[in-house]
Amino acid sequence: MNILKKVKSLLQEAELYHKQGLLDEAKGKYNKAKELIQDDELLKDKQSLMDGIAKKMDLLEIDIEKVEQAEKRPEVAADVQDLIKRLYTFAADQDEDTIALDGAIALAKFGQYDSALAEFNELIKKESLRVVAAKNILRCHMAMSSVDEAFTQYEQWLSEDMFVPDQIDKLRMFFEGILEKEGIDRTLPAAKIQEEDDAHLLDIFEMDEQQTQETAAEGVDIDGFEFEEDEVESDEILDINSIRLTVESGPREGQTLELIVNFQSGNVISLLIPNRDKDLVDCFSVGDMIKNIECYSPIAIFNSSGLVSDVMQIKTGPRRGDYNLDIKVVDN
Amino acid sequence: MAIFNLKKREIECKIVYYGPGRCGKTTNLEYIFKTYKKQITGEMVSVDTEGDRTLFFDFLPMGLGKIKGCDVRVQLYTVPGQVQYTSTRKLVLKGVDGVVFVSDSLEVRREKNMISLKDLQQNLKEYGSSIFKIPLVMQHNKRDLIKQGFPIMSIEQMEKDLNRQLKVPSFPASALNGEGVGETLKECLKLTLKSFKKEMNL
Ligand SMILES: Nc1nc2c(ncn2[C@@H]2O[C@H](COP(=O)(O)OP(=O)(O)OP(=O)(O)O)[C@@H](O)[C@H]2O)c(=O)[nH]1
Ligand SMILES: [Mg+2]
Repeated sequence: MNILKKVKSLLQEAELYHKQGLLDEAKGKYNKAKELIQDDELLKDKQSLMDGIAKKMDLLEIDIEKVEQAEKRPEVAADVQDLIKRLYTFAADQDEDTIALDGAIALAKFGQYDSALAEFNELIKKESLRVVAAKNILRCHMAMSSVDEAFTQYEQWLSEDMFVPDQIDKLRMFFEGILEKEGIDRTLPAAKIQEEDDAHLLDIFEMDEQQTQETAAEGVDIDGFEFEEDEVESDEILDINSIRLTVESGPREGQTLELIVNFQSGNVISLLIPNRDKDLVDCFSVGDMIKNIECYSPIAIFNSSGLVSDVMQIKTGPRRGDYNLDIKVVDN
Repeated sequence: MAIFNLKKREIECKIVYYGPGRCGKTTNLEYIFKTYKKQITGEMVSVDTEGDRTLFFDFLPMGLGKIKGCDVRVQLYTVPGQVQYTSTRKLVLKGVDGVVFVSDSLEVRREKNMISLKDLQQNLKEYGSSIFKIPLVMQHNKRDLIKQGFPIMSIEQMEKDLNRQLKVPSFPASALNGEGVGETLKECLKLTLKSFKKEMNL
């Protein structure tokens, strides 16, 4: 094939790819054509050929730019939002409140944060959904990168009497968990009642730990969603409050332990292990399969295996220095 | 997550069109919407972004009439193919009953086809399903481009790349002019309904 023919066919390809929205591929072909022209000593009228390609590439760049600039999670029209709610509400045979909650969560999952917030703010008025709606409100703010909004909201809840101290505690723990994950180091005020309590004399770390454990051990947490990219569905597996396992290797080999689950995201449970128990942390490394785990959930005890998916020392926040151990629970 | 409503004698199932960005998933649905008017029971909804790229999903509801006295309703979806929409893709796949994997015949998209198939496998796994078990049909799209002399992979090549282990039914197609679109959908529906029957011992 002579060089002009080759160039022509490359340009045709580039054109097609551009039209089909395969923008990188189009760019590749234009560049290839440019190279060919440049490298050919004998070719006449090089400059006008190059100019022609440059013009096409300018148009291509405009489209590349547009795609890159396009908003990733734009708010969509109301009827589309309704459709999302309808299609992604899986609680068809549940009560009205659960369906409403599911719908709002679906909106948030698709990045319709403003509408989701509006719905959660309605749902928060219902006693039974109060905490879960509040959690999702915090999540929406965080997803919109408005950490300050989340703080203001939390502080507002503290100052109102919408939540009982126990609920505020739950929210605080939850919020701290998110902040920790995001690596944001800010201290959250606790419920008022505790400030009057003798408990405030306790070292703040101690107090934190106690509450973490108490709250984790009670109540079902019908958590909504996670915004992480590789999201694990949280409704596929029961909420696990604590686990019991026998250490299979390391300094504490053979010991049977009962451990509190501090967070759960789908089938991944997180255990916070105090710094003083480092020898326990040393018994686990990422990739280890723990064969027998007894999982305690509010409605059942079941056996499973677990894959250690993360072991890490916490760098910021009130639990700085402690360890976080993630275990992916797998069905036996 | 087929929904069986035995009282109302209704079956509702969800078919998802999966595949790399720009391979022609939306074009499949558009053709179905235009062509199978009798079976279409509502509007096609597309949520897309710059350059007609699917942002959330396309949605098209169909009715297949009665099968063994049961009203069969089908919802067709497409996922957004662009890599960055991982979590949306997974969300759209939730509760899927049958999958059409659309691959792009353009040589320059060879690797993207394979990556997308892997992504499908991973996402199904995370929902506790398996690419080997789910009713799955493959469609090698954009075959028309061969006539215009564009670099297109051979069917053998594509089968070797994508279907060697899966060995699912596959169809050459040109979604733009409708070739192979109906066949692909029909086969997928057939497999999906067959697997329901097995599941329910009908
Ligand atoms: N020549 C040809 N072009 C096609 C065919 N199918 C789709 N296209 C073109 O390919 C481009 C992308 O098609 P879409 O249907 O939007 O692709 P998609 O898979 O939905 O893309 P995403 O939504 O980004 O994942 C469009 O320009 C279509 O016209 C085909 O069979 N032949
Ligand atoms: Mg599309």
